[in-house]
Formats: sequence, structure tokens, C-alpha cells
Amino acid sequence: MAEKNVQKSLKRNEDPRLLVGKTTFIDDIDLPGMLHVAIKRSDYSHGRIVKLDVEEARKLPGVVAIYTAEDLGDYWRPGPLQVPPPTAIKGSVFHARPLECIAKNKVRFSGEPVAVVVAESRYIAEDALDHIILDVETLDYVGDLEKAIEPGAALIHEDLDSNLAADVVQEVGSWEKAVAEADLVVKRRLEVNRVAGGAMENRGFVAQWDENLQVLNCWATTQGPIPMRNSIANYLGLMENQVRLMNPAIGGGFGPKIMSSQIDDVVIPWIAIKLKRPVKWFEDRRENFLGTTSERDQVHYAEIALKKDGTILGVKDVMYHNTGAYNPYGMTVPLNTQTHTVSNYRVPNFFTEIKMVFTNQMVVTPVRGAGRSQGVFVMERLLDAAAKELGMDVVEIRRKNILSPEEFPLRTGVIGQDFVEGVLDNGNYPAALEKTVETIGYEKFKSEIQPKLRAEGKNVGIGICMFTEGTAVGPYEGAKVMVGVTGKVTVFTAYSNQGQGHYTTFAQVAADQLGVNVKDINVVIGDTGQWQWGVGAFASRGMTLVGTAIHNASLKVRQKALGLASKVLNTPEDELEMQDGVVRVADMPEKFVTLGELAQRSNPTRGTVEEGMEPGLEAASYYGPPHGATGYGCLGMIISVDAETAKPKIERLVMTDDCGTPVNPMIVDGQLHGGLQMGIGEAFYENLVYDDYGQLLSASFMDYLFPQASDMPDKFEINHMVTPSPLNPLGIKGVGEAGVIATPACFMQALEDALNIKGMEIVESSISPSKLYHYMEKAKSA
Amino acid sequence: MKIEGSHVFNGPREAVWEMFYDPNVLTSALPGAQKVEQVSENEYKFDMNVRVGPVSGAFSGGMTLEDAVEPEKVTIKGGGKGAPGFLDGVGNVRFVEQDDGTTLMEYDGEVNIGGALASVGQRMIDSVSKSMIKTGFATLDKALAARLAAKETGEEVKFEAPTETEFAKEVAKDMVGGVTSSAEVKLVLYIVPLILILVLLSFLFGR
Amino acid sequence: MANKVKINVTVNGTQYEREVEPRLLLSDFIRKDLGLTGTHVGCEHGLCGACTILMNGQAVRSCTHFAVMADGADIKTVESLGTMDNLHPIQEAFMEKHALQCGFCTPGFLMTAVEYLEGNPNPTDEEAREAIDGNFCRCTGYENIVEAVKLAAKKMADH
Repeated sequence: MAEKNVQKSLKRNEDPRLLVGKTTFIDDIDLPGMLHVAIKRSDYSHGRIVKLDVEEARKLPGVVAIYTAEDLGDYWRPGPLQVPPPTAIKGSVFHARPLECIAKNKVRFSGEPVAVVVAESRYIAEDALDHIILDVETLDYVGDLEKAIEPGAALIHEDLDSNLAADVVQEVGSWEKAVAEADLVVKRRLEVNRVAGGAMENRGFVAQWDENLQVLNCWATTQGPIPMRNSIANYLGLMENQVRLMNPAIGGGFGPKIMSSQIDDVVIPWIAIKLKRPVKWFEDRRENFLGTTSERDQVHYAEIALKKDGTILGVKDVMYHNTGAYNPYGMTVPLNTQTHTVSNYRVPNFFTEIKMVFTNQMVVTPVRGAGRSQGVFVMERLLDAAAKELGMDVVEIRRKNILSPEEFPLRTGVIGQDFVEGVLDNGNYPAALEKTVETIGYEKFKSEIQPKLRAEGKNVGIGICMFTEGTAVGPYEGAKVMVGVTGKVTVFTAYSNQGQGHYTTFAQVAADQLGVNVKDINVVIGDTGQWQWGVGAFASRGMTLVGTAIHNASLKVRQKALGLASKVLNTPEDELEMQDGVVRVADMPEKFVTLGELAQRSNPTRGTVEEGMEPGLEAASYYGPPHGATGYGCLGMIISVDAETAKPKIERLVMTDDCGTPVNPMIVDGQLHGGLQMGIGEAFYENLVYDDYGQLLSASFMDYLFPQASDMPDKFEINHMVTPSPLNPLGIKGVGEAGVIATPACFMQALEDALNIKGMEIVESSISPSKLYHYMEKAKSA
Repeated sequence: MKIEGSHVFNGPREAVWEMFYDPNVLTSALPGAQKVEQVSENEYKFDMNVRVGPVSGAFSGGMTLEDAVEPEKVTIKGGGKGAPGFLDGVGNVRFVEQDDGTTLMEYDGEVNIGGALASVGQRMIDSVSKSMIKTGFATLDKALAARLAAKETGEEVKFEAPTETEFAKEVAKDMVGGVTSSAEVKLVLYIVPLILILVLLSFLFGR
Repeated sequence: MANKVKINVTVNGTQYEREVEPRLLLSDFIRKDLGLTGTHVGCEHGLCGACTILMNGQAVRSCTHFAVMADGADIKTVESLGTMDNLHPIQEAFMEKHALQCGFCTPGFLMTAVEYLEGNPNPTDEEAREAIDGNFCRCTGYENIVEAVKLAAKKMADH
């Protein structure tokens, strides 16, 4: 058998191109005769449009056209919903209000598009924005999640009775029963802040209409090429094959680039067809903050019921989830919160309610972590609060309630973002906890190091938090694997790559079945002209779903190659082996046929073929899991806090993670590092802040603090555990979001422990030196 | 943004009142103001160029004085908009005569700022507004002194408003405590003119 | 429209004489006028560092310079380093240490590091971290970039 590629830290195929600057990102696309778009966005957060005057702007030399909602005529229509409502959950209420591509009659958030300028250059298009006059009759701004659904609040969608966008209750067991039996019920109000995806590359879209061929070529930074292609075709009344949507290289995704049916993919193709010239839009950074979706932002009223010995009897959580001005992404984020709240622990009674609320803010859709962080934050903070009240050690209370390996697979009774009941597939959660505790030296820190440091007047504390990472959800992905006449292989997908390393990892999977060098495998990413089926890059599902489809397709190709070779070599299949790009007789390596030759033979140009023959050394396969695969892990942090400035420093960060079989361990570590960085950013630096009128105050990197190199610990100390998922042949689970999920919870736990101030509790997921200082002062005066 | 505070002007109430009704004073106190025009007794219009740092463009607006009880109190409503964003405000001002011949001005108001003005500059305002208002009042103090002196001699008012840069430097000095040539000062110099305009506008409207 | 201004610039060893609008950003000049799209623009306000180039040997943010300010200057962009078949040691180091994921910020990091290593051929961990502190990366958590800068120093010394 040939040497395996899966589980090896191979260097990436895509790196040389990226390193020398010879790859094409969206803004690098420059087509002859191309026009440039700039979008006029509302400065007002809530109001009725009284006047929208574009006449002055139109007169500017170089301006080709300006379009408002009115100019779109019948083409203007809201939606569609990108994610369907949660009809699988009984009694759920969901008021669908999909995005409007351009605001008509009313603006509902500051940053909402009101007009599109098309000009000969981006500079001129931006000049024209200054001459567009938007007058609105302002309406009260709705921003407070709890007040938003009180009677008398201004209505964002006036056809609804209130700003309640959805209400979903799920209950396992009986919370009432848990309370009745409990020795102690701990209640907390917890807040989770709002953060940006913050990809280094902003979003962009290019459209080119070929009038003769009646084909629309599009390039987009989308994480979901097929759904976006379908949305465009549907809007324009074209067949899917008339729209070819391609991903250029994408400079990071992190969630928000999944969105489609927005101004860019709805309006720009329409303009390209209307003007018969290529059109490009590339977002700038301020526009990215204002007009691209972001996430988190929940308020939780959470309770935990326990016995005196720390055994959990039940958890109740009522969350207010901000969906922004519209809810095109369904319930994905808050459902993730529901499925990730109690997922590490044995909780016999669990009540969870989502109150999704419309506000005059940017729409909320997943950002790396996507709802999971919130659930974990709530549970881990509840456990810390309970431990304090019971006088228990924070690790001990977790040990007491953590799920054991024998309990898996465990049906959770909670329906998730894939509309099926969650099932925790497998893993060894206690081992992850102990491994982190041991690596970071928890016992020694608490018994020896911390007392010594405290005696020296130093504030240093430790935090230990668990998490699960629901990954690899359905519905499905697909891929086609083809051996070419050169003997090299192409893997076709319509998945999207934003840096995850798919050009390498997908090739590793195919190479193992085909006996071909990983460097000889070309991976096609995100091109609907080459592959037609798939859903998109979200929920850490690419490696598992596309990887499994590639694995299965490669197996089929392997069978096909062996069958053909058996005839050519006149040898039974079981005496053949595939290696180094050839099929050969295992005992007689000089007797072989190359894969290239087999590919050629598989596509005869004259003569006859056997009945049922399928040409080409190629095969397609699709994979859809019954439910997601669940990764998990444990995070430990030691943080010191400067007593004068309240500035925290992460002295150590230890993470134990289990994502099943790691296809490329180097890339897995990279994913964990990046996730941890975002988690640290969320906990201490990044914050999307709206003022009392709905103006986004942090719309530049001057105000939105991006975590930098010096903000990170010197080293991310990573432990790996490998429990192959039983759900797919390679045993893969996703890993893209693992790093971010537990970080804010662990950060706050360690901060509290560092400061050791009686009564001080951090009840929000983001803290700054000034906030921390405020907490310290408050606690001291209490 | 809520604004509230008080200031003592070294002059009689009538003179202070008069000063606030003089469009020239408004012009001098609004750096970048191109035109302040009295449309009717209680209505002003202005055009100004905001051209600072990352935010630039023409800005025009107006304000009305309501419920004026000369020289005691007035409510001001105003707003403006342009490429850099918009600003809407309402404020109440009271002038109280003091025993020593000075005038105590009390003001409170609320200003709503939107667009690039808000998303690029607003968060800085809280931390520097005190300093800004202090510097703003210093300008008006000088204006008042010049007016009073002119009244005495019967000559024309000799008052030159500080330039944007001078004003910004004053505030920067105040903020960073005399540290010069650091990156921080550069940043402050870059941002302050923008905030200066905002605060002065809101401050003027707020009275 | 403002009158165009003639500028002379040397970019990656090639001399260019071009007429540009005074307001044209240097980043746009490099990317659009010269077609050197390896330099990326991430924030347009000088904070993220993706657009970092060398101007007369110094690492600068091309998005906060106008093209006219580069008149007479000698500019180097990422395209001046190595080729796909013959990577520069800093590029090799980034590949070996997995110091890039999406690769969008990478050219800025490379140019920053190249300038830094010229003056500091043997950085400590802390120095290497500080050297790249002004560049933003969303994917990597920076640890591997710090490692790559150190490895590059070693490679360049061995050269």
C-alpha cells in the first residue's frame, strides 16, 4: 500500500501562488470596459424616506447611471430567506422578513443601501455619493433588545404587531421539577457583545454579461457559490447554467461572506445586463462595518438548579437574540446557542427559549463560533457562579457533571440548525478536561504558585472552560474526481475556500485512494461552471462533508481504474495496486498501465462500448450526514492583571481539542490558532458599538480594535486528542470554530480569579480596561 | 450625545446675548464655516466645508431659535447634513446675571450625529469634549472681550478667530499634557479638528 | 477633474513615467495603473498593513500615500521577492511554518519582515513579534508568522 497522505502535515499546494502575489482576488479582476459601483447607504438608522434626489449626482462627468429601489421596478423584491424557518420545532413562531436589496420607502438601519452609483471609475462613483440627497422622516431608534419588544416600541416592520421576530421554546425534562428538587438555584443576567467577521479582504462582486452567448459570468467573495448562483438565476429568470459563478481567491470569510440575495448579488448582475458592460463592486472597510452582517449580541436570563454537592439538576435560559433589521438567515445562530448551552454536561432538565428581536441595526448572521460561543459562555459562567455559591472548585464542579464517554452517542433532545435533534456522536470529554488541567498545572498553580504571587501583590488567575463544537451539519456536499489524460487528477467542487487549505487537504484525501502525488491533484473550488452541486462553507463542514464526498468519489474512480486495468493487464483486480500514478501488478511492478492511459481508454473515440459503460475515469459522490459531528475540547488560561492599569496579559494558554481524524495536523493547528485569536479579540478588544440613535461608532480599525500580534500569548499550547467520528469513513469532525468558542468564558473566569475581589463577577463576554476598572471599583465598594 | 454644563462670561447679560445673535461670531467660532446667514429673526442658515482627516465634504444646515426670552433664555433647534453625515440637535440655554456683573450661562442639550461623522469620530468625543468645550469658551471669551472693548472705543470689533490648527493644537496640548511630537499628538491633531467642529456645532446648537 | 501630474517611479527595477490624478492613491496606482495586484488593500486608512510596500527601502503603507508622493521614488512590492519556482527565503519560511492561510495580508507581512530583517538579522521571539505587530492577520493568530520571521532570519544568514 502506498504511503498515506491523510494525517500528514503536508505543506500547502496553494502557498507559492499566494506568496508571490500571483493569484487573483476579487479586486484584482479588471475586465475591458469595466464599470465601478459605489453604494449610497443611509446615515439614518430608522426613518421613512421622504426624498431621494440623485439628479445632481447624475450630472457628474463619468457617472454612467444611478439606480434606486424605484428604478428597479418589478425587479425589486425582498428576499428570499437564505435559511428556512424552524418549522421542525413545535410551537415555534417565526416572522420572516428577508433583506431588501435596496431600501424602499423606509430605512431600517444605518448603512442600509438606498442607491447604487455606476461610474467609469471608483473614484468618480464615490464622488457621486456626496451629491445624493436622502431626506427621511426619522422614527424612533430601536436598539435595546428587551425594550424593543415592549408595547409602544417603534415598529421596524409596521405590518407586525411588535418587533418580536421569532419565539422558539425547547424543553427537555422539566425545569419546574429541577427547581422543586434543587438545593440551590443560581440566576444571572449575561450579555454577549457583537463582533465583526473582520476578514482582511472585504466583500466584492463582479458581473459580466455575454449578450451573444446569453451567459452571465460572476465572480464573488461568497462562501456559498451554489446558493448565490441559484439566487441570481432566480432573480433574473435565467437557467442555472446561464449563470456561472466563480470564487476568485478569497481573503478570509469567517461567516459573513455566506450571505447572498443582498444588494451586490441582486443588483450588480442586473446592472451588468442592462448596461451590457462588466461591473465591479468592492466594499471598503467602513462599508464592511456598516453593511456586512455581524454576530453575537444576545442577552440571557439564565438559571441553574443544583444539589448541594454540585450535581446539576437543570438549566433554564431565556435569551434575547438580536437579529438586526431583518432575519434572512433564519434561526441558525440562536439555535446553535440552544444546542451548545449544556452540551458538555449531564443536565437532565433543560428549558431554553429564544426571543429573536428586530432592531435598527445591521443584520445578524453567523460569525466564526456562530451561537456556540454564547451558549458556552452562559453555561460556563453559570457553573462558575454556582461553584462560588457552593464553595466548590471550578474544576471540581465540571468534573462532577461532565458527560462520560459511555453516554455516547447521546441524543440531546434539542433541535439544532440542521432541523434535527442533536446527537453527540462520541469523544472523551473528561480526558480533555484532565489533559488541560494537567498541562497548565492547575493544582500546583492554585496551591503553590498563586498564593506566592498573591503574597507578592500580583494579580494572576487561572481559568478552565469546556466547550463542544457542533460541526459538519447537513444537508449535503458533493464532489467529482477525474483522472485526466496526463495522469494528473482534478477534484471538482463548488465549495468555497477562504484560507482553510482545501487545495491541499482535498487533494490529500483523493491522493490516498488514487496513488497520485498530492501536488499532481488540482482542486477546483467554487466554480459553478465546473461543478453544480453543494451548499456552502459554514458550520465547519467543508473537510467533513466535501472531504467525505471526495473520498467516496475517489473510491469509485479507483474501482473504475482497477476494472479497466485488470482488462488491460489481464490480471485479476485483487492482484493490482495503485501507486505513483500507475496501476501495476503487485508482484510484478514492471507490468503496469499509467492512469493517463486508462483515462484515455475510458473515453474511446471510435468503435463500440459495452452496455452500461460510463465514460471517463471519473466519478461523483455526495455526502449528507444524519446529523452533525461534534468536536469538543477544554481551554485553560493563566492571566495576570496589572493592578494600576487593569490591563490583562495572557501568561499561558492551553487548549485540548478533539476534531476526530486531522486530515492535515498543521492546518488543524492553524485553524485553532486563528479561532483563539478571534476569541481573545472578542473577550477584550473587538466590539461593535451602536450609539443611542443607532449609529455604529466603531466603523473603522481606529475604533474597532483588531487583535494584533502583541495581544496574543507567546505560545498557543495545543494538546490533541483523536476520537474518529463514527459518522464518516475518515472519522473527520470540523475544527474551524473550536478556538473561538470558550475563549471569552475562560478569559472572564481567569480575570475574576486573578483579581480575587469578593463579589466581583463579570457578566458580559467583552471587557475593556475601563470596564474592568469599573468592575473592580464596584466590587471594592460593595 | 447629551451635553450639559455652564460657563461664566465676563460681561453683562445683554452683551452676551447680543454676541450670540451675531452671525459673525458664529462664523468665527465655527472653523471651516463659509457662510452663516440670518434668514429671519430667529432662523439661521450656514454652509461649511468639513475637510479634515478621513471625513470631508460640504455640509449645510440651519437652526432656529425658539421661545426666546431676551436676554434670559432660548431654545435652539438645528441640524445640518452633507457628505460627511448629519447632525440634529436641540438645546436650552439660560443666561443668569451674577452679582459681580458677569453672566452665568447654563446649557443642556441633546445632539444626534450620523454618518461618517459618527462612525469615524464620535467615540472620541466623550473623552475630549470637556477639553473642546473649554477651548471653545476661551474663544468666545475673547470674542466677548473684543466686542466690549470695541463698544467702549466705538471702533470696529477686532477679533480674529483662531485657525483650525491653532485650535486643534490648544486642545491637543490640553489633552496630552504637553507631550509633543509623539504619535499620539499626531493622532490627536488629526482627529481633533473633526471633533472640534462637531462639538462646537453641538455646543452652539445646544445653547 | 484635476489636472494630471507626470510622475517618474521605479517599481521593482522597472522605470515608469505616468500621468496621474493628484488624488490617486499609491496603492491604486500600483495595483490598477501598473497591474501589480500582489499588493492588497484591507482598510484604506493605514491600519491593517496589507498594502505595505518598500519606498526607498522603507516599509510604508501605500494606501495612505498619493501616487504623486512617489515621484522619483524607488518602490519594491511583493512581486520583487521570489518566483513560484524560486521563492525568497522569507516566502519559503512562511510556507514552511504555515504562516499564511487566506494569504490576503501576506504580502504586507512579507514586505514588513523583509525591511525589518535587513536591519535586524537575528531577532529574538519578542523582537520578531514586535516587528510584525503593526500588520493585521485574521487567520493565523500570528504565532506561525513570528516563527516564520525567525526562520527567515536564519535562512537569510545561511544564504
